[in-house]
Order: sequence, then C-alpha cells, then structure tokens
Amino acid sequence: MVEPDLIRLKDTPVPPAGDDAKRAALAAATAAFEKSAPGAKGSTAPQRLSHASSPTEGKKKMRQTFQFNRALAASIAALMIGAPAAFMLSRTYAPGGGGSTSNLSGGPISPPAEVAVAPHMEAPAAVPPAPAPSAPVAREERAKSTTAAGALGGRVDGVAPPPRLAGSVQDGVRQKLSRSAHDAKSVAAVETGASPPVDRHVAPESEFRDRFDSKEINSVKVAATEPVSTFSIDVDTASYAFARRALNDGRLPPKDSVRVEEFVNYFPYDYPKPESAQAAFKPTITVTPSPWNPGNRLVHIAIQGYALQSAERPRANLVFLIDVSGSMSPQDRLPLVKNALRMLVDELKPEDTVAVVTYASGSGVALEPTKIADKSKILGAIDALGAGGSTAGGQGIQDAYRLAESNFDASAVNRVILSTDGDFNVGVSDQSELKGLIERKREKGVFLSILGVGQGNYNDALMQTLAQNGNGAAVYVDNLNEARKALIEEASSTLFPIAKDVKIQVEWNPARVSEYRLIGYETRALRREDFNNDKMDAGDVGSGHRVTAMYEITPANSEKKLVDELRYGKQKAPAVGQASAESEFGFLKLRYKLPKEGASRLITQPITDQQSMESLARAPQDVRFSIAVAAFAQLLKGAPYLGGYGYDDVIALAQSAKGDDPFGYRAEFVNLARLAKSARP
Amino acid sequence: MPGEETDGDLARRAAAGDRAAFATLAERHYDRVYALAWRWSGARAEAQDIAQDAMVKIATAMNGFRNDCAFTSWVYRIAYTTAVDHIRARRRVVALEPARISALADGADNETPENDMIGQELWRAVRALPDQQRDAVLLVYAQDLSHGEAAALMGCSEKTVSWHLHEARKRLRIILEAV
Repeated sequence: MVEPDLIRLKDTPVPPAGDDAKRAALAAATAAFEKSAPGAKGSTAPQRLSHASSPTEGKKKMRQTFQFNRALAASIAALMIGAPAAFMLSRTYAPGGGGSTSNLSGGPISPPAEVAVAPHMEAPAAVPPAPAPSAPVAREERAKSTTAAGALGGRVDGVAPPPRLAGSVQDGVRQKLSRSAHDAKSVAAVETGASPPVDRHVAPESEFRDRFDSKEINSVKVAATEPVSTFSIDVDTASYAFARRALNDGRLPPKDSVRVEEFVNYFPYDYPKPESAQAAFKPTITVTPSPWNPGNRLVHIAIQGYALQSAERPRANLVFLIDVSGSMSPQDRLPLVKNALRMLVDELKPEDTVAVVTYASGSGVALEPTKIADKSKILGAIDALGAGGSTAGGQGIQDAYRLAESNFDASAVNRVILSTDGDFNVGVSDQSELKGLIERKREKGVFLSILGVGQGNYNDALMQTLAQNGNGAAVYVDNLNEARKALIEEASSTLFPIAKDVKIQVEWNPARVSEYRLIGYETRALRREDFNNDKMDAGDVGSGHRVTAMYEITPANSEKKLVDELRYGKQKAPAVGQASAESEFGFLKLRYKLPKEGASRLITQPITDQQSMESLARAPQDVRFSIAVAAFAQLLKGAPYLGGYGYDDVIALAQSAKGDDPFGYRAEFVNLARLAKSARP
Repeated sequence: MPGEETDGDLARRAAAGDRAAFATLAERHYDRVYALAWRWSGARAEAQDIAQDAMVKIATAMNGFRNDCAFTSWVYRIAYTTAVDHIRARRRVVALEPARISALADGADNETPENDMIGQELWRAVRALPDQQRDAVLLVYAQDLSHGEAAALMGCSEKTVSWHLHEARKRLRIILEAV
C-alpha cells in the first residue's frame, strides 16, 4: 500500500509561486548575472558556486561537479519538462500520522525546550570562559562534514558546550541554553552516511515553529536560608504580543513563550516620576494581600524611569536593517514594517538621520544615512522595499553597523534596528560570532534593537539574546497599533536609554518573611555577587520606561508555609545589622549606570509596614491591574502557585482597574483573558 | 518548440555574457526550479526563497556552464543541491517538521493552499524521513527519475538508492499501519 501512494507524489499539484516572488528571483538572478558576467569581471574560475549567496557552504563532493553524463542528463531533462498533472491524492490515513512517526524513532520525544532545562540551574555557578574549543567546532559545523555528528555527539548527553565568548555569565547561560538545544537538534539532523539515524522525530501536532528557550518557573525560597534575591531589569514586551496573537487565533501560547515580567511591563502605568535625569529612577513599593493566596502578601515594586523632554533628547543616528526575504511578504511582515517606519520617520526630528539596509540573498544599502529633513527621499526608499530572496543576515548586519559607524556621533543615540520575521540565516555556528559582533559594537556605542514580526518562524530566543547583547529591546509587533506603541509612543524609550545595567536586589528580613517567590524574571536571574559588580551586564531602560516586579511573600509565623522549618538546629536569623527593625519586610536596592558612565549608582528603599495595604481594593489602580496581568501570565504559564485563582478572577480584577485606558490596551487584555478560557492548548 | 531558441543556444550565449539570453532562460526555468523547491521544502515561502537562491546561483555560475550536458539538467542539479542545503541549514536550527508549521504560519496571507491539500499527510511523512531516504523517495517518485539517475544526483551508488527506498518504504508502512 505504500508503493501506490508514493507513485502519486509526482502528480500532486505544486502550489504556484507568487508573481512577486518570481519577479524578485528573476531580478536577483539578473543582477547576479551581470555582476559575474565575463565582461564585467575577469574571473574565469569554474567553481562559482563557492561564493554564491547561500550561507551554506561546503557541498558534498559530488554536488560540486556540475558535469555528468549526457544520457543521464537527457533523461532528467525530459522528466523535468513533463509538467505534473493535477491529481487528487486520496487520504489513506487519518491525521495524527505525525505523532506516530515520532514513536517510530524509538527515542523519547522531547520538545526542543526540554533539552535546555537540564543544565540551566547549575550553569550560572562557575563556568570559566573557554573560547578555544569553539572555533574548530564552528568550522566543522559549517563544513557540514559527516564527522560533525561525532564531534557534537557528546553534547546530546546534556553536557553544555563551553561558552563562546567571555561575556557576562548571564549571557553565557542564555547562549549556552540555546546552543545546547540547537546542538542536540543538529546532531539529530546530521546524516551519517548510509546508516539510518534513529533519533529523528516529528514535532507534535500543536508545536510551533517559533523557538523559545525554556526556563523553570522561579521557586519558593526560604528567607532564612536564602535572604537575597537578585535580578536584572527587563523592559521587553515581546512575550505579551506573541501570546496575544496566539490567543486571537484561538490557541493558548506555548508555555515557554510566556514571560510574566514581559506581560506586566507591556502596559503603560502611571507611577510616581523621578524629578531629574540624575536620579534616573523612582521606586514605589506597595504591599497588598495576595489575591490568590489569602495568607500571603504581594510586594509590588514599581520603578519609573525619568522621561527625557524632547529638547533634552539627543540626536538619533538610526540604521534600519530590514529582512526582505521571501517569507517577509505577508501583510503582517514587510508591509507592516514599512508602515511602522513611515510613522517613525514622522516622529523624528529634522536633524536625526536614518539609513536603510536590506538583506535577503545578498545584502544591500537601500538608503545611505539621510537627514529626516529630507523626508521624501527616506519615504521613497521605504516604499521601494520589496520582499524576495532568502535570508543572509550576517552580511546585512555588518553593513548596517558600517553605516552606523560611518555616521557615528558620540553625543547621539547610535542604533541599528533589526526588523525580521526571525530567522537570521547565519547558521548556528555563526550565532556566537554574531553575538560577539553585537557586543563589540555595543562597547563602541552602537546599540541594537529588534522589531520582530510574523509568526511561525519567529526565533524568540535568538532575538532576545541579540537584543540583550546589543543593549536593546526586542519588540514583537503583530499589527500597526502595536507598531505605533513600540515605535511612536515608546519611541523615546525604545531609542533613548536613560540608564544601563539596571539591577535589582531585595534582601528579605527573616523575622518578618518566612518565604518569598519572585514572580517572573526567570531569564534575568543574577547571582548575589553580580549586583555590585559593575562589569556585569544587565538590562537597559529607556526614557520614560517603567518596570514592575512582584514578589509573593509568606509572612513569618504563617500557617501556610510551603517549606517546613527544620526540626534540628533552629537557624538563628542572620544579623540584619542595625536594621533588624521589626517594621521592615525587606530592603530594596537598585543599581544602575547613566548611559555614558562606567560606575554604577545606587538607590535604596526599605519595604515597610507603611507601604502595606489592608486589602487589595485599596491599592492603586495600576498596582491592581498589574497584579491581574501577572496572574494571567502565570495561568498561561501553568505556574503551580495560584491555587484556585482562574481567568474569571483575572477578568474581574482587571475590569475593576481599567481606568482611562486611552488606547484600549487594558480592554484588550480583558478580551484576551476571555479568549484564554476557551482557547485550545 | 518551433520559433523559439533552444536552451542550448541560449545557454551558450548566456555563458558568453549575453544578458537577454540569460533572462529568457531564467524566465523559462523558474517555475520548474520552484516546483522542485516546493517538493523538498513543502512551504511556499520557503520554496520561493530556495528558488531565488538557486536562480542567483545559476546566474553566478552561468559563465562556467560548458554545454556538455543539457542546460535543464544543469539547472535541475543546482536546484536540487540548493534545496537540500537550504533544508539542512534550516534543520540545524529548527528540527521541527516544517511543512505543516509553515502552512500554519503563513495562514495570515490566506493563500497557502498546502494547508487544505489532500495528501498532505503523505508529504509530511515523506519530508520527515531521514535526508537521504527523503531525497531518494522524492527523486524517484516525485521527480520520476530512475534509481541510476537519482544515484548520480545524490552522489551514491544505485544500490544505495535502492536501499534508501527500501528503508523509506518500511518506515512509511509502519506509519500508515500505525494509524
């Protein structure tokens, strides 16, 4: 029964290529032809393919030979011309075949994320930078030799590869996570000659092609044994926009794609503002009862960044690096990006400059750095962008940085804004080089932000890593409204940093707090000693940005503790210095650097009874709304700490805290919570 | 085709740098290159990417074309290697089966017929085969080559192709019967 089915393969109709794609391909081919025509350039080397645009070099020996026997050639030619007739193939088995294919492989079916989970808990501890081994591995991978399987084989056993770069530990960890997942994959994918690999699997039916790194949900910590909690600030919001898109399609977002802090930080809140750019932040602390756990309390930490006035705003030197590969053609990708850019151009000041670089099969400069004063030229260049070709991001990013540097202005904001639907086609081995490049440019003062579009191909983990290494935010944009929010309303925060390496550390007072749990920020955890280490890279905050973090705490002497006290050797509460004051739950420390400074500044504030509210209803509206958002994200993530608290409770709490909501973000949130109730996993 | 120049003549001129001749050839062969790309990748957007890549390669390599084989076969070979390389490159990053997921992803443009196509299951199963088994099946069944021709393209012996096909059929049968 297999044979007749297979015979039908040749009769299956092929969905036609789009006219645009065809035109783009032919144009690209003609351009390449002219470049390499004998008249234009005297090279006569027969093996042109070695410098063709594809990033995948190193074909098999046989494939490099373009000459083969005539008889064979003729018959192949004849077959190619025979156009397949339209033919309907009868369905011989029910859907779900994919699932059983997985079982075939014999090995356990693990979603990509799980590969990453194992090493992550230990990873931050002590990983000495060991860049040496990376180079040969990278080369091997690029060469795609069959021996690569052997070289990488060891990684499958959960042995994390050495960090590629002596970057910050946090970055190293992220990178390693994604690498270990990728390596495992690549091993699975590498063909080893004639022997059929066993470890091949097909994704489960509901799997997304989008890639997300997984992190374990923050667990409950005992204040007496582990009183200090340290993390980096995060102003990304991509996770929320991504979940919104899934929910609007009637699906729950993949759990790994949900980052609680990005949900919470998506919304504009009206927190008390700092007075001057020198005191870049103002923290506001509110302690309320936990809505999902009556005995517990929530410590809500709101941090408002200083908003630059337009006059103080530095000049902007922006380079847009735009993916124009064929996959960008749907309406919600390149056309959306173009509209977003047009809006942004309207917002910038006349002396700001914009340049546009595109990348696809090759990379090209679509617009040299041009002052906004010459708006029509910029708009013309944006209009002329069209999708077609495949992605070669590596060259594109080099070109973008070159332009940014050619127009570098030490007093300006110099930023590359990468806009893509995800795949940055540089191959796994080159990702670390790319990250290194972005880090080096960051040191020189050129930052990177990412505007992600499209769904299905979106490489969240890579984009996060790149943006974080480039001192930028990764924003996921799925409609024009979102683009406006990201680029216009928050243009100044996206583009103009007020502080960098912003870290938060909270020390809990075991006399008042027995257990605590940081809600979200799993990907941003720092070690305790990293807090005072100015070398340690952390999140950046743009003008007017606000950041919210929440802890759920169990007061001392509570009946509801999750972790039992030890029977033996009752621990004495560590001396909290003179501040063993009974009135303090804990102590907040915030460290940041001004954009052009190397030494950090410190803001501190005790968390006291004065900030405590008797009931949630008395908490400020923004605090209540952000708590609803945090609950929602935890539900989507499947976090185990919410008890019976459900979507209806989220909706009720959010409804009560909608406030003015001029752009409808909060109303939209309530709708999403309703959708989540009926969404399928 | 009467009244039209043959591929051979055009290719000779294109190899010598004749732009118009190349443009005609490119226009004439794009659809076939794309069709092959689609068979391997299973997703329209990706097939378009592969096809463009292959066209660029063809253009770049054009002046190395020696006319010692049919132009069509030469194009065909480049298309095949480009498709296989593309899929490998992608798979080094994503090991998920692409066809249905791309279909899902492209849902937004509402013009992706592979979603509704009957027989999608079979394509899916075939594309999920190990690379060489997949190539053997697609070359022999979808492109209707002989085992010898497939072997020449894949760079292995005819026997190996037969063995790959045998293994592929075995695998596919288990899938079918498991349902």
